[in-house]
Amino acid sequence: MLFATMLGIGGLCRDIGYPVGAAMLSTVLIWAGPAQVLVFGSIAAGAALPAIAIAVSLSSIRFVPMCMSLLPLMRRDAVPATTETPAQPATPVWLMLLLSHYVAVTAWVEGVRRLPQMPQGERIPFFLGFANTVLLAATIATGAGYYLIGQLPPALAAALLFITPVYFTLALVAGARRMIDWLALILGFIAAPVMAHFALPGLDLVIGGVGMGTLAYAIHRSWGRRKAGSA
Amino acid sequence: MTSFLASLEHASGGLWPYLVVILFGFLPSEVWRWVSVFLVKGLSTESEILVWVKAVASALLASVVAKILLSPSGALAAVPALWRWSAMAGGLAAYFVLRRSVLAGVVLGEAILIAAGFLAR
Repeated sequence: MLFATMLGIGGLCRDIGYPVGAAMLSTVLIWAGPAQVLVFGSIAAGAALPAIAIAVSLSSIRFVPMCMSLLPLMRRDAVPATTETPAQPATPVWLMLLLSHYVAVTAWVEGVRRLPQMPQGERIPFFLGFANTVLLAATIATGAGYYLIGQLPPALAAALLFITPVYFTLALVAGARRMIDWLALILGFIAAPVMAHFALPGLDLVIGGVGMGTLAYAIHRSWGRRKAGSA
Repeated sequence: MTSFLASLEHASGGLWPYLVVILFGFLPSEVWRWVSVFLVKGLSTESEILVWVKAVASALLASVVAKILLSPSGALAAVPALWRWSAMAGGLAAYFVLRRSVLAGVVLGEAILIAAGFLAR
């Protein structure tokens, strides 16, 4: 579903005269649409490389809440041996680091939606299988975009770009179970136009996300307390 | 040295593009994923911090989506705002009517947008 972005990144990379391999490598390694757009877009605009690195790093701070909410679903803690079962080691750090690399919007929305219903032992294999498939397809899309972009009729190009918002909205709605999920979704949606006016460009999403996520959590907490009090 | 660096910034030959991707794209981005691995050590899935963190992640993503619809770039900007929002509303409606199918929602939303895109020209 993020292939549209990746097609665009392929085209962007071509515009600055970089080889197709660099475009595809960026998908495999960076694995973050906005960061990739920043790298190639800023080079096209003539920005200094250290400034690009800072911008990329800022845009990827959003992975912290994503990783923090997804990784614990997959990690297994060490279990000491009992009379019936042998001791089980905790998930090793290298595996957690590897799993964290795949965390990006697509893997996150699908992960939080599906992993909680799965038995613990199936979560890591499912996640790796799913994320690697998406990564492979996205890498191919990046290569295709390198050669194809600019040859599509405008209505289809618009449709490609529209996949991102429509898919992510529906995936969030499909994953929302508790009131706090709905609150975060609706408040975050409202935050965008407000923050675009008042916050520093580039930081508006982070400020809006943290602010509205916190507000959703605060409402969730006070609601829970009131219910606990009346019961 | 500075002129050497300046010449590198516009270089596109050899291995340089790959190095740019690794040094100025991959490393500054990946570091946050590594930080998270160490931040979640010892936290259980039931912990209150993670409830908050998930709310922040959801709100962030919803903001990103709203921003794309409000101020789109490229070809999507050519489709009038009313149609962009109608396509999104149509997608949501299809999702709820057709037994909560994400695919049905995406397909209908896309169909509305493509129709609008051809009509807008």
